[in-house]
Amino acid sequence: MEAEIILWIVVATALAFDYTNGFHDTANVVATSISTGAARPQVAIAFAAILNFVGAFISISVAATIAKDVVDAEIITTTIVFAGLIGAIAWNLITWYFGLPSSSSHALIGGVVGSAVAAVGFDAVIADGVIGKVLIPAVIAPLLAFLVAAAAIGISYRVAGKQRPGIVTRGYRYGQIVSGGLLALAHGTNDAQKTMGVITLALIASGEIAPGSDPPFWVIFSAAAAIALGTYSGGWRIIKTTGTRIIKMDAAQGFSAQGAGAAVILASTHYGFPLSTTHVINGGVMGAGAGKRLSAVRWGVAGNIFMAWVLTLPAAAAIGGLTYGFTRLFGTGAVGPIVVTVIALAMIAVAFARRAQRGAPVTAAGG
Amino acid sequence: MIATVVHTEELLSTVVAAVVAGIGVTFAFSVGIWGAGQFTELSRNERPVAAAAAGIVGALAMLLVAAALITGIFVMTHN
Repeated sequence: MEAEIILWIVVATALAFDYTNGFHDTANVVATSISTGAARPQVAIAFAAILNFVGAFISISVAATIAKDVVDAEIITTTIVFAGLIGAIAWNLITWYFGLPSSSSHALIGGVVGSAVAAVGFDAVIADGVIGKVLIPAVIAPLLAFLVAAAAIGISYRVAGKQRPGIVTRGYRYGQIVSGGLLALAHGTNDAQKTMGVITLALIASGEIAPGSDPPFWVIFSAAAAIALGTYSGGWRIIKTTGTRIIKMDAAQGFSAQGAGAAVILASTHYGFPLSTTHVINGGVMGAGAGKRLSAVRWGVAGNIFMAWVLTLPAAAAIGGLTYGFTRLFGTGAVGPIVVTVIALAMIAVAFARRAQRGAPVTAAGG
Repeated sequence: MIATVVHTEELLSTVVAAVVAGIGVTFAFSVGIWGAGQFTELSRNERPVAAAAAGIVGALAMLLVAAALITGIFVMTHN
């Protein structure tokens, strides 16, 4: 009975994490289309939410990586998964509160690794998987998006730049409907799968499914619905982020940035690499800016994103580890996770209340 | 050690796919816009043959974009 309670707490926490991931990332996914005038905000947000939902169904490679290649599923418990999720949520909350950039994806992986190390030791971590499937792609993917976008915008200007501006702008704005849609699809497929992977890990840990199993359909559906709902909700507090904070973009740059981001995320997803979609999208936006004029890019924002790479994994791992230790103070039953959940909800409420008093931060946080 | 940890083949495939899709589709789409622009311009200048040729090149480029997108989605969904 207690094991079931812990499992359902983990499932609810994972879906809440997925929801906040969508909520965080709406701006990153739609800002480029909105800032170039390719789509009205309401349309762009609804479109992104629908494609986030659809995207979650097109692959399970990333979910498999999270469930099988990060920590040893056979020695993991649901409490370890729970503590990892709390580590990720807490780090996201801290960075959101202080307006620092973050990555939900890296926070999630860091949190689970940290709690696993605290519980079982380094034997629980599949180092090859973490390095080869998480860390190396995490560095390569944003750089790749940067280079692809820079090359793409150079080609766009060279091929179509001498046509009448009206046709060029209209053409790329139409193109952005497709590239923006692909980006939302890519975001849905990579980010929702991380939640699927974590829930699958918890189901394996609790003995509900066998090690090595794929996510059940209800897991895929609920993860898809949670991220889509988050994306739709997040749109109503659109903030000045990717589309305008890093560079001022024209439609061709928006098309190139979105196309590069979508291509990198979809290709990575196909091979099961869990990425920070926000870092990739920002890499694409910076590349599209740098391809036109290096000084157009606000490199300070790029520096903040780099710091997020460096900080997120160890910080979330530390919080995940501490959370596991605290949870175990109450024994191995459901009391620990329940107490931690109550404390986490109280901290979230306080953070939101204090932020509401001081005004919402402008962040580049996200998946 | 590093060679066994790095998923070289998958990473290289990711890079190649992203470059081909990201740059190739943008190039084809830009040719489509170039074709539309040239078609309008040449039609105004009463050069129907050249306009039609530009229009056909542009339309073919857009078809290529559509084919690339469909292929991409197909590959993703048939993992």
